[in-house]
Amino acid sequence: MPDINALKAEAKRILSEGMVDIVIGFKAGDTPLHPQPAFFKTPDEVDQLVYNALCQNNLATYLTRFPKTQKIGMVVRGCESRSVNALVFEGQHPREGLYLIGVPCDGIIDWRKIVEQTGEEVFSVIEQSDNTVLVEAKSGFFTLEKETLLHESCARCIHPNPISADVVIGELLPEGDPALACEKVAAFAGLSMEERHAWFRQEAERCIRCYACREACPMCYCEECFVDHISPRWTESGTTPAGMQGWHIVRAFHQTGRCTSCGACERACPMDIKMTYLTEKLNEDMRRKYNFEVGLDATTAPPFSTVTLDDKSRFVI
Amino acid sequence: MSETPKLVLFQCQWCLFAPADQEWVDTQLPENIHLAKVPCTGRINPLYLLNAVQGGADGVMVSGCLPEQCHFKTGNIAARRQLEEFSDYLNHIGYEQDRIRFLWLDLQDRGIIQKELAAFEAQITALGPAHNLATRAAEKVGGVNA
Repeated sequence: MPDINALKAEAKRILSEGMVDIVIGFKAGDTPLHPQPAFFKTPDEVDQLVYNALCQNNLATYLTRFPKTQKIGMVVRGCESRSVNALVFEGQHPREGLYLIGVPCDGIIDWRKIVEQTGEEVFSVIEQSDNTVLVEAKSGFFTLEKETLLHESCARCIHPNPISADVVIGELLPEGDPALACEKVAAFAGLSMEERHAWFRQEAERCIRCYACREACPMCYCEECFVDHISPRWTESGTTPAGMQGWHIVRAFHQTGRCTSCGACERACPMDIKMTYLTEKLNEDMRRKYNFEVGLDATTAPPFSTVTLDDKSRFVI
Repeated sequence: MSETPKLVLFQCQWCLFAPADQEWVDTQLPENIHLAKVPCTGRINPLYLLNAVQGGADGVMVSGCLPEQCHFKTGNIAARRQLEEFSDYLNHIGYEQDRIRFLWLDLQDRGIIQKELAAFEAQITALGPAHNLATRAAEKVGGVNA
């Protein structure tokens, strides 16, 4: 956990020195479980800056909502810095117009798990140094293990440290194990076709088509999404089985070679639909087939943007 | 399976060099095969495949030129990457990957497409109808303003 005062001081410094026009970070939200993204334009406003393990949004999402001429400062964790790199590669913002304040991240807490474990209204959440979380709820205090509260994507995180940040605040953490990340994909792929399909249907067909996953995803920045097209209509737009399945299939597929497995889509979902089993399969394929990981730098093209005759695949003759 | 499988053929307009083969595909394709002609396999968005699958196709065949012989230099190898991954991905969620097939045609090939389509149809007949992924409502097949 980085020192919040150092974080504030750095944000104030870059704002007051005119290095950036705006700093994107978090501030306290309506409830202690939901800190919300905040946009600081003056050094005084930075006093509201908050950073803790409950900050669940991927801030890189907001990068594409500012003009490219704007100089942006941003508090970035490992996944966010990789998303920023991918966005810079895709020409969504010049790297010179960015100042990244990196914070090593030891995992985002899934607020649903706190609610599950306490079962009642939560007043405050305090992270303690011994990897436990002190939760003040209606009937008293709960001490919960942070390990058990981590969001699934964070429990399998490979790159907790910010990549290509301009300054890093806090101590760097050990890198995660890539084998851990493939475990879940392999386990899912080991199920029979019917079981896999049953899981997919059970998840996809709870969808209410609110597109919160799209809004939360930093890589979903198309001016017009394929589901919003009227003619041709790519997939049914209502909550019909074909419509819901089509949305989930293509939303994830459009992230191939672009998704950083931050899990923001899953955390944003009001129906608690699991989605990372789709994107992680695609990520895993990219890693295995093309030795490509998203966002490790801002210059390597993702596999689908490059071509070579030497591919080894089922379709190759 | 008693009924004949519904197939979709995505055909690159350059891959059938022999006029007789192209003529056959254009005019004498069996009724259960829906033809979608594209300027290059690189033009095939994975959404087209999903459209075919959701339209009730039991199998999808993509025919394109040999890797080095693309009319547009690299369209087919770009398509190969995407479509291979897409079929792999559909397999992950319940649409057998054998139902999507990529056919490479040489400029010298004559009469290959008929044989390959017959073989593919036999393979899909053995697999049975695709039933896993949901299909669009019947009157909306064709994808216009569904």
